[in-house]
Amino acid sequence: MHMLTNLMAQQTIWRLPEESRILFATLIVLGAFVLVLGLVPVLQTLPPRGRRAIIVTVTFLAGLFFAAEFFLPVDWTAVFPKDDPKRNFLTPAIQPAQNVLQIIGALALGLGTFGLVRLHLRNAVQRRPQWGYSIVLLVSFVVMAIFSVLNTLAEKGIVARDPLLQRGFSILFDYTLLQLDAAMFSLVAFYIFSAAYRAFRIRSVEASILMFTAMLVMIGVVPLGAYISPALPAIANWVLAYLNAPAQRAIEFGVGIGGLAMAIRLWLSLERGVT
Amino acid sequence: MSYQHAQDNWFSAILIGLIALAVLVNIWRARRGKELYIRRIPGLDAIDEAIGRSTELGRPVTMIPGMTDFGVVAVQALTIFKYITKQIARFATPMRLLSGNPTVFAVAQEAIYDAYNEAGRPDLYDADSIRFLSDRQFAFASGVAGLIQRERVAASFMFGEFFAESLIFAETGNMVGAIQIAGTVSFTQVPFFVAACDYTIIGEEFYATSAYLSREPVLLGSLVGQDIAKLLFALTTIGGVIAASIAGTDAPIIKLLGQPGGWDAFWSSVLKGGGQ
Repeated sequence: MHMLTNLMAQQTIWRLPEESRILFATLIVLGAFVLVLGLVPVLQTLPPRGRRAIIVTVTFLAGLFFAAEFFLPVDWTAVFPKDDPKRNFLTPAIQPAQNVLQIIGALALGLGTFGLVRLHLRNAVQRRPQWGYSIVLLVSFVVMAIFSVLNTLAEKGIVARDPLLQRGFSILFDYTLLQLDAAMFSLVAFYIFSAAYRAFRIRSVEASILMFTAMLVMIGVVPLGAYISPALPAIANWVLAYLNAPAQRAIEFGVGIGGLAMAIRLWLSLERGVT
Repeated sequence: MSYQHAQDNWFSAILIGLIALAVLVNIWRARRGKELYIRRIPGLDAIDEAIGRSTELGRPVTMIPGMTDFGVVAVQALTIFKYITKQIARFATPMRLLSGNPTVFAVAQEAIYDAYNEAGRPDLYDADSIRFLSDRQFAFASGVAGLIQRERVAASFMFGEFFAESLIFAETGNMVGAIQIAGTVSFTQVPFFVAACDYTIIGEEFYATSAYLSREPVLLGSLVGQDIAKLLFALTTIGGVIAASIAGTDAPIIKLLGQPGGWDAFWSSVLKGGGQ
């Protein structure tokens, strides 16, 4: 207890010697686990109305924090001359709040991975149709995870980076994963071609206008367009800047307003979709 | 790290406040029983048709929220998927919800479970039908494309935020002859969906979807508020064009409307008696 009080008196754990820092961090993590594990059964025992009241309150307070941080003036130097004029008193809490969101995301990643592995283990054990793919996934998952973890530990100097690890990591990530990513991305080019073929087929007046405009823009933005006529790049730019950009901005305005309205509904718990 | 604040441009902050007010006032009006009109959106009318086709063929329906991070877009996408699942539950049609974001996956599990419960068919819920594939863009794309091909899906619903992988999903669905309905806020992906899907829901129609499907007063009121906000934006744009044409782009009023620190520049010039 004395040590904890002593630690708290020093305001930040990062100034402490490493042993105390690790101990303090462990205590925080264990405390958080106990709090979460204790909260879950408490929430489960509450009636739905009580649970909803807690969720509504927490949602409102969390939203209020971000709204207040945005709307409160940042320059308080007239009142507090030593204050930083680029932030208000809530701004320093933004980063910790984002860290919490990242931690929740990391927990969810564990949940997602667990679901994926469970599904494919079942497929393999029960010999469901196409269970061979599940075996491939599980083997790839385990091998990738082992090499990735070892590589991270080697980067931190915890384990030695031997040639097998270096070569294995390179084969798996640089020569396999990245190449597979590139192969998938390159498929988009072929898909664009087939989709464009269907979209530009002349079936109606609108499709004809679309095709004619697309042809103008495509020819206008490549060197061939300027070679045919100097007017073509100018026409292409005009179409992009004066027809395409305003339409896109109008869509963006609509999306932004829609997102804001949705955020307000979620903040005030008026949204009944998935909440 | 520096963050944006209302003080950077008070005009924008006031606009945000006015939009919020328009939305809240109209929600209040709708709750008091005011009749509100919503125009037809063909893509949403086709949802039932797509589900019906899947049921007839006995092939699954896929729902893809894309790589969307958990936020308003994901919540809206899951709200739509929840509605679709309720319809699916009536006919016991198989479904697959494929997520590229673990948080969305976790929430989707709960949302889909709720949907089956609300439809009175909790027995049909299968936790394995909601899948997290990968948070790597093209690993997720290949996983979705593979599943669409292997299971020969009959209907594919893509709602959320999409990037370069959108066309891979849409073209693969097209190859297997699925009815495809897409709705996205990513305007760079709209042309791909328009080219490859049967119906595309564009821009703010995406946010109108839940109001259209559920006809809940809160959502309808919010939609009317959004329309008023759009009108406000249109008037601001027209006002800005007129003011810039008359006074020039260096005028304090134009700085007030469009530039960081413009509010301070405007008031300091007003307090000095006009001029720069």
